[in-house]
Amino acid sequence: MAPTSKSGRWLSWGYLAGVLVMLYLPIVVLVINSFNASKYGIHWAGFTWKWYVKLFANEGLMQAAGHSALIAVSSASLATIIGTLAAVALHRYQFKGKAILSSMVFVSMLTPEIVLAIALLIIFILLGIQLGFWSLLLAHITFCLPFVIVAVYSRLRGFDMKMLEAARDLGATEGKIFMKIILPLALPAVAAGWLLSFTLSLDDVIVSAFVTGPSYEILPLKIYSMVRVGVSPEVNAISTTLLVVSLVLVIVSQLLLREEK
Amino acid sequence: MAHLNQFRFWAIGLASVWLTCFVFMPNLLVVITSFLSRDPVETVALPVTAGNYVRTLDVLYLQVLWDSLRMSLQAMLVCLVIGYPFAMCIAKLPKKWQPIALFLVILPFWTNSLVRVYALQFLLGQQGLFNNAMMGLGLIKEPVQMLYTEFAVIIGLTYILLPFMVLPLFSAIEKLDLRLHQAAQDLGAGAWSRFWHITIPLTSPGIVAGCLMVLLPAMGMFFVADLLGGAKNLLLGNVIKTQFLVTRDWPFGSALSVLLIVLLGFMLWLYYKAAGFVSKQGGINGSDF
Amino acid sequence: MKKWLAFLAVLTISGCSKQEAAAPAADTSAAPAPAVATGEKQKVVVYNWTEYLPESALQAFTKETGIEVEYATYESNEAMYAKLKLLDGKGYDVVVPSTYYVEKMGKEGLLQPLNKDQLKNFANLDPSLLNKPYDQNNQYSVPYLFSVTGIAINGEAVDATKITKWADLWRPEYKSKIELMDDLRDNFYIGLRLCGFQDNSTNEAEIKCAYEKLKALLPNVKTFNSDSPKLPLIQGNVSIGAIWNGEAYMASKEMKNVQFVYPEEGAAFNIDSFVIPKGAANVDAAHKFIDFMLRAESAKAAIEDLGYAAPNLAGQALLDESLRTNRMVFPTQDDFARGTIHSVLSDDVMAIYSKYWDLLKAGQ
Repeated sequence: MAPTSKSGRWLSWGYLAGVLVMLYLPIVVLVINSFNASKYGIHWAGFTWKWYVKLFANEGLMQAAGHSALIAVSSASLATIIGTLAAVALHRYQFKGKAILSSMVFVSMLTPEIVLAIALLIIFILLGIQLGFWSLLLAHITFCLPFVIVAVYSRLRGFDMKMLEAARDLGATEGKIFMKIILPLALPAVAAGWLLSFTLSLDDVIVSAFVTGPSYEILPLKIYSMVRVGVSPEVNAISTTLLVVSLVLVIVSQLLLREEK
Repeated sequence: MAHLNQFRFWAIGLASVWLTCFVFMPNLLVVITSFLSRDPVETVALPVTAGNYVRTLDVLYLQVLWDSLRMSLQAMLVCLVIGYPFAMCIAKLPKKWQPIALFLVILPFWTNSLVRVYALQFLLGQQGLFNNAMMGLGLIKEPVQMLYTEFAVIIGLTYILLPFMVLPLFSAIEKLDLRLHQAAQDLGAGAWSRFWHITIPLTSPGIVAGCLMVLLPAMGMFFVADLLGGAKNLLLGNVIKTQFLVTRDWPFGSALSVLLIVLLGFMLWLYYKAAGFVSKQGGINGSDF
Repeated sequence: MKKWLAFLAVLTISGCSKQEAAAPAADTSAAPAPAVATGEKQKVVVYNWTEYLPESALQAFTKETGIEVEYATYESNEAMYAKLKLLDGKGYDVVVPSTYYVEKMGKEGLLQPLNKDQLKNFANLDPSLLNKPYDQNNQYSVPYLFSVTGIAINGEAVDATKITKWADLWRPEYKSKIELMDDLRDNFYIGLRLCGFQDNSTNEAEIKCAYEKLKALLPNVKTFNSDSPKLPLIQGNVSIGAIWNGEAYMASKEMKNVQFVYPEEGAAFNIDSFVIPKGAANVDAAHKFIDFMLRAESAKAAIEDLGYAAPNLAGQALLDESLRTNRMVFPTQDDFARGTIHSVLSDDVMAIYSKYWDLLKAGQ
C-alpha cells in the first residue's frame, strides 16, 4: 500500500479500532453474562463461576464441543485442499466441462441450507454412508468448498501467469509450479478460505441436524436447542471458553512462528 | 508430459468428482422433485407436473422473493461500505500485525451465530444497552424501537456476514502494487482519483467475491429474520423451510429453491455479460471470473 | 509452510482414525455407568428436545439398570418427523413427539405398539389424559409432559384483570405489546375461536375467516417467537404473550408479577409422549427407560426442573404444596374441558392453512 501520512495512519487505526469495538460488543455482553448469576442476563445479579462448573460437568456438551472442533478442523482443511486445487485448475487450464464446473460452484453456494440438508441425507442413504462423523464431514466439506474456490480464484485472477509458462519451459513440473509459485502467491486467500470454512463448519445447524447420526452430537445443534429452552448461561460459558481457547492457540502458534525465525 | 497430466488430473478430477456427487446429484434430485406431485404417505410421487412452478409465480411469493433480495442486497452494501475501508486499514498495517488483525476479525465469528444474535437482541431491545445508553445521555426520552424491525434484521445479517466480505477484500487489496499508486501520484493524480481509477478496478475481483459470499448466504438465512425481525418479516429461506418441514410440500419447496437459484444465476450471468466476461458461447471466460 | 501442511494433515488423519476407533464404543451423555454383569453394554438411544429430560433421572436410570443413554436432540417436531421418515423409523429407540405427530406417525407405520406389560408404572398416569383421540388406548404412546398455550401477562406493565379471553388481545391499547408463538396451528386456533368455529377446521371459508381475524391482530403483534417465548416478556419487549404455561412459569421466577390466563374460549393443550419407532434396535431397553420415566420420582424431577406438568398423579403427590396447586403449572379440570387438542390434518388441508399463514406473515 502507498505510504500514508501520520494523520492517515491515525485515521486508519481509529477506523480499525472502531469497527472492532462494534464487532466485539455483543461478545463482551456474552462474556459478562457468563459470569452473571442471573439466568437471563437482564440484570446483573452477582459474579459467579457456577455456569462454568455446570458446563464442565456436562459431559454431553463437552463431547459435542470436541466433535464440532474436530469436524471443523478436518472439513476446513480438506475443503481448502480440494478448493485450492480446483481454483487453480479453473484459472490455469482449459478443459471440457469447465463451464459446468464453475456453474456447480455457484449453485452450491446458492442452495438453501434446508434443501441441501434433505438432498444430502437422501444421497447418503442411497450411497449407504453411515450417518455420523463421515456423513457430517462430507456435508461440511461440500458447503465450504465454494467459499474456498471463490476466495482463491479471485486472488489468482490478475496475476500474470506468463511467468508460469517460462517456468515450464525451464522444465519445472506442474506440481512444482504449483507448490513453489502459485501457492505462495495465493496464500492469503488460501488462509482466508480455511478460516471461513472453519467458521462455517463450527456454526452450521441445519445441514448437520439432518446428516448427523444419533451418537454423534455436535455443538451448534445442542446450543440451538438449549437456547430454545432458555438454558442460556451455560451456552455463554462455553462460547467464552471457546474464545479463550482459540485466543490461546493463536498466541501460542504466533510465539512458535517467532521462534522459528 | 506425464507430470503435467498428473497434477492437472488430480486438481480437476478431485473437485469434479466432489461437485458431481455432492452438488450436482443433490440439485438434480431437487429439480426432479420440483416436477413431481406431493403425496401424503410417500412425500413425493408421480404424476409429473409443472404446476409447482406456476404456483411460484403467485404475487405472494414474488413479493417474498423481492423482499429477501432487497434485504440481502442492503446487507451486502452495508458489509461492503464497512468492510472495504476495514480491509484497506488491515492491508496498511505492518506485515507482522496483519495475521493478528485478521484473526481478531474472525474470532467473534467462532462464537455460535445464534448466541451472538441473542446478544444483539439484548443490545437492541426496549430495555437494551443502546436504548439505556441513549436515554442516559439524554438523547431520547423514550426507548426507540430498534428490535423486531427490518433495521434489526439488516444489522443482524451484516454482523454475521462481515468476515465473508472482509477476508476476500483483504486478499485482493493486499496484492496491490505500490508502484502504480506512486506513478499516478507522480503524474499528479489526487488521492480520490487514485482510489477510484486504480484501487477499485484492481481490487474488483475481491469486491465481487466478497459481495457474492455475503449476498448468496444472506438469501437463505432465516433464523436472523426469525429472531430479530418483527411480525411481518417473511424471507424466502423461511418459506422454503416451512414448505419442506411444516407443509411437507417438497415439490413446491423444490420449485421455490430452483427459482431462487435460477434467478440469482441469471442476475450473475447478466453482470458478467455486461462486464464483458462472458464469451460468445455463453460460458464463463477463461482467465476472468 | 510445509510444516503447517504436515501438521494439518496429521491432525486430520489422526482425527479420522480416532473416529474409526471410537465408533464401535458407545458414547454417553450421562454419568459413567458401572459395568454390566453380562457381556455387552446395553444402550438406549433417546431422541428428544434438549434439556427436556431431567438430568438426575437419566443418571439414576443408568445407575440402576446399567443401560447407557445416548441423547440426540431436535428443535422442532417437523425436523424430527422429516428425519425419522427418511430413515424409515430406524436409528432411535425412544422419541418424544407432540400430540398429533403421534397420530400421524402411527398412521404411517413409523411406530411400534407399546408392550404395556413392560410398563408397570403406567398406573401412575392421570386417566383424564389417557385414551385421547390421537392415540386410542394409548397403543403407541404414553404421555410424558403436557403444556398449554394460553395468555401470559406482565402484571407490572398491563392490568391483568382486564384480560380473560382471546378476544381481549385485539384491543387497540395493546398495540405492539403482544408476542405470538410462531406456530401455525396455535394461531389459527385462536382465529377460528374468534370466528366462532372449532379447532381443526377443514373448511376453507372458516380458515379464511380466521386469517382475516389474525390479520386484524397484527398491529398489536410485535413478534412471533417459538424459540424462547419467555425472553421477550422477561426483557420487557412485550407485555403480553400467547405462549406456553411452562414458559410463563419460568418467566414468573425471574419477574415480579406474571399472570397466566386460561382464555374463556379455550386454551390449546399439547401433550408430549414417549413413543418407540418401528425400527428401534433396543426395544427392551426402550421399555425399561419409559417405565423408569413413569416413576413418581422421575416425574417429580421433570416438573421441578422444567416447569411443565407431568400427567403423573404419583409424581404430583410428591410435589410441594405451592407447586401442586399452582394453576399456572396445573390447569383445572374445567380448563381441560374448555380446551382443545390439535389433531392431525390431511396434507391438502395443511396446504390451505399454509397459504394463509404465508399471507399473514408476509403482511399482505
